[in-house]
Amino acid sequence: MDEEIKKLQDENDKLKKLNAFKSDVISISAHELRTSLGATKWLLKMCLDGDLGVLTPDQAKLLKKAFEGNDRMIGLVNEMLSINHTEEASLSYNPQPTDIVPLIDNIIFDFVGESYKRGIELLFLKPDTMPKQMHIDQGKIRFVIQNLIENAIKYSNNGDRILISLNEQPDTLTVSVKDTGIGIKDEDKAKIFEKFFRSKNAKEKEEIGTGLGLYTSKNIVEKHGGTMRFESAEGQGTTFSISLPFSSQI
Amino acid sequence: MSKKILIVEDDTFLKNLASTKMTKEGYQVLLAGTAEEMTTILETETPDIILLDLLLPGTDGFGILKKIRENIKLLDTPVIIFSNLSEEKDIAQARALGANHFMIKSNFTLDEIVAKIKEILQ
Repeated sequence: MDEEIKKLQDENDKLKKLNAFKSDVISISAHELRTSLGATKWLLKMCLDGDLGVLTPDQAKLLKKAFEGNDRMIGLVNEMLSINHTEEASLSYNPQPTDIVPLIDNIIFDFVGESYKRGIELLFLKPDTMPKQMHIDQGKIRFVIQNLIENAIKYSNNGDRILISLNEQPDTLTVSVKDTGIGIKDEDKAKIFEKFFRSKNAKEKEEIGTGLGLYTSKNIVEKHGGTMRFESAEGQGTTFSISLPFSSQI
Repeated sequence: MSKKILIVEDDTFLKNLASTKMTKEGYQVLLAGTAEEMTTILETETPDIILLDLLLPGTDGFGILKKIRENIKLLDTPVIIFSNLSEEKDIAQARALGANHFMIKSNFTLDEIVAKIKEILQ
């Protein structure tokens, strides 16, 4: 019996090492791809803006197509990195004492550029007193909150505001991300956490997406003993909330 | 008096594109490809803002950021980390070392970067 357990543990360790290697390869490849695609993006945009000389309408039309195609590739690389993170997330959990406020601050710091570019304000309504420490896997909960903010930005419009807030109860802490974006249609609500599901209006607003973010996020939250829910009205916006127990037993 | 932007980037192609765009926008652009080149520039120049790549030959962007924040002249100079890395640990480390902003290069056009610089320097 002990021998079988040891054999399984060895197999598990091998798989973890293999997965870590695969993740490293994807991260390095993504970096290289981003470098080339980013340079192409800069160059094409400068051509389109006439910074490098005046274009004929036909040249501009063709370069615009190249610019859009290149941007789609960048979107795919970003998605690939996200999925890579997701797969890593499913393998092992490493819970540790975590202060949620600095964790959210760091996530928002990452999104300042993207929200600015889209003309969207990100506002974190911090509580007057620091909530109690959580016992969570920081990397995975970071992925969840990051996914919610990323979705809120993607599906909001220029001039909108996204509010991130906390609600501390004796046993749980709830993190909410509220946007005033396109919202979720009633007929899509039951499917929103399904693997690979993307609603029609989401696809219309953002072509690139895997439909794995919410599915994975819900799994991560439930693994922590928490719950994930949302309220939404089409055309008015969505609020996603995750509630995590302070005494999480992962 | 035009504002000075220091770009620390080892990729010559990217550096030249950024320089062309920013010069056209009326900024004075200082270019460095390594920590040593940056140190030489800082002996005679004081930039108003710094765009800093992370993966660089020799001292990397984190080491350079540390040097920047140890330089009394540059304590409050805004630093935009400008990288194609986006791992959580990279962002957290850059922030802890005193970066003001973190932008993933491939997600922005130079127009958008210039707009960000204008906003910061206002």
